[in-house]
Amino acid sequence: MTKLLITEITRMGPAFCVIGLQREKEQIHSIRPVPSSANGWPHFPHHRGDILECDLAPFPGARPHVEDRVSTRGFRKSSAIPEAEIVTYLRRAELSRSLPELFGCAVQENKNGSGLYAIPGEAQRSICGCETQNLRLELCANELRATLVLPSGEVLRDLPVVDREWRDFIDASLASSRGANRVNRLERFLNSFFHYKIMSCPHHFIRLGLTRPFHDLCWLMLDTLFPLPRREWLQEF
Amino acid sequence: MTRIPVTSSDQEESWRRLVEECFRREAGSSASIPGDEVDLVQAGILDSMAWVSFLRSVETASGVSDLGSDLNERSASFAAVLAALANSRSVTFRAAHPDSRPDTVGSAALALIAGSSAVTGSRVIPSEEVDRAFGMPVGKLRKRAGIESLAYAAEGESELTLGATATENALRVASCGAHQLDWIVATSETHHDYPSLSAQLHSRLLARENCAALDVGGACLGLLNALAVAQSLIGSGQARIVAVVTADVHSRTLTPGRVAGEFGGLFGDGASAFILCRGAGGHSAEGYRLGEFLFGCAGQYAAAIQVSDTKEGGLNVQFDGEALSRAAITRMEKVLAAVELRSGILRGAVGGFATHQPNPRLLALLAKQCGVSPDVFPPIARTSGNLGSSTCGAALHAALQAALKQERGRRPIFLASLGPGLLFGGGWLTPCAVPT
Repeated sequence: MTKLLITEITRMGPAFCVIGLQREKEQIHSIRPVPSSANGWPHFPHHRGDILECDLAPFPGARPHVEDRVSTRGFRKSSAIPEAEIVTYLRRAELSRSLPELFGCAVQENKNGSGLYAIPGEAQRSICGCETQNLRLELCANELRATLVLPSGEVLRDLPVVDREWRDFIDASLASSRGANRVNRLERFLNSFFHYKIMSCPHHFIRLGLTRPFHDLCWLMLDTLFPLPRREWLQEF
Repeated sequence: MTRIPVTSSDQEESWRRLVEECFRREAGSSASIPGDEVDLVQAGILDSMAWVSFLRSVETASGVSDLGSDLNERSASFAAVLAALANSRSVTFRAAHPDSRPDTVGSAALALIAGSSAVTGSRVIPSEEVDRAFGMPVGKLRKRAGIESLAYAAEGESELTLGATATENALRVASCGAHQLDWIVATSETHHDYPSLSAQLHSRLLARENCAALDVGGACLGLLNALAVAQSLIGSGQARIVAVVTADVHSRTLTPGRVAGEFGGLFGDGASAFILCRGAGGHSAEGYRLGEFLFGCAGQYAAAIQVSDTKEGGLNVQFDGEALSRAAITRMEKVLAAVELRSGILRGAVGGFATHQPNPRLLALLAKQCGVSPDVFPPIARTSGNLGSSTCGAALHAALQAALKQERGRRPIFLASLGPGLLFGGGWLTPCAVPT
């Protein structure tokens, strides 16, 4: 039996991708439980911070998704920890200060438009945490994108944001029940209060991930952004 | 000057061409063009990442910077993109119609290069000698970088003397006196003294007291920054004649013991100068007109090269050669593709590529990636080394000289360069005949 601290729940098309932290002796590392027949969970009722008991096959996935482990039984919640404590553990797991260290390989830019990618065979892992010097979210043609600065000063632009809570928050902010000028109000929030709330939070932390290979390339995405959004923020804009 | 009135259908056609070209680059050259109203994401033609990537390409190529925001709550269709372009506040994009722009921008496009010059340090050192000086295996610079020799400043030569010589030569070509200059815009990645380089050039050239002097940064991108500033000064009516000067002396800064040979050994010394004038001034019978410029900063490469002073007076150089090479090729190729789209000039029709030249090997690779002959890149770095901001200047001067000799008419010139950051910039020049 394995105990997993759930740290990431991301949207992946109609399904969810889940990542947790496992402690082995003094080491903490990321594990991605996957169903035997797919890469994502069509339904995942648990939350970040939940500590789940599960049974996982011991074989790692193919590079760069070496964190994959097939789940052979359902999840049972044993306890939960608060958000700030999750980040404490994430800071002890995979961590990087610069672009090449993120996935242990060169990260390259899309030659045509935007986006960054890694070559599947070169990347050593598919998930990594990091601090940021600055971070901005933007709604670009209906798509949520992040731009951020790593501690090394390297800037990553147009990363798709797949964090479930943040995507739900953006969807909720654009719900028709919220009245007129919803996009403009959201843009104002993202350009002002959001920045203060995120960057002043003592447990501000992000995790970046690599997509499954698509046309032989794995694209960078923003898997997790701490702090998580709060429903009451919707009242502020 | 006679202006060709631009019609809205001309403009729509230009935008449509640009959007279709960006779409093909994203979806593949064999992809068929969808109907205007088709939602590219819902129809599965582009996924969400490719959709945003496509929009970013359109933004870069059109000069419209806020397409993504304008397209919120709109469908992911050609019709929406074309409508957003039509509604954009941009005044910078007029593909293939440089004469037909509104007055404010049109006057900027009338900045002409009336004269140019480039000089290099007078000591020509075989690259093997530089290998030895830096303690590298003999032949490394030639084999790995393609550098045959380096131009080093002789005793008595400096940024000032090289820059002044280049400027005097360029003034002579333009049949223009230094007293006619309204501005001197200088750039150097090695001159950090005060008075600044532009001030020293002002004195050395005996420019009028009310000729202004300005220094711009950007390291190897400095020439493009300076040309864009000069174009704006002329376009806004602040100046009629501007001297743009680059001058770099690396051989006294990037010395053995101070920096690694794999970095310091690449650089030589040189200068370039360009006399820019307002089109109506009639200073050149066969001038080249500055087109538009595009600039930006690809921050994901910020750590690839970093140079700073140490407390002890040394130089701290962080140089990831492999990452920088990859970045240079990828980004310059991207810049040239954007210049091609924005200008409406096909790269095959270009007579010269005045680009930054980190080293000759990378230049050959860039030509290959771009699908053009390496012969259209003037070989500056092969015999002189990387001249910093003066590389692009020397290449532009060489391209202008080559154009004079072309029997079948002069052809456009593309500009592209990079600076630490990773700053990037590009632009183009088109030949024009101006009555003297």
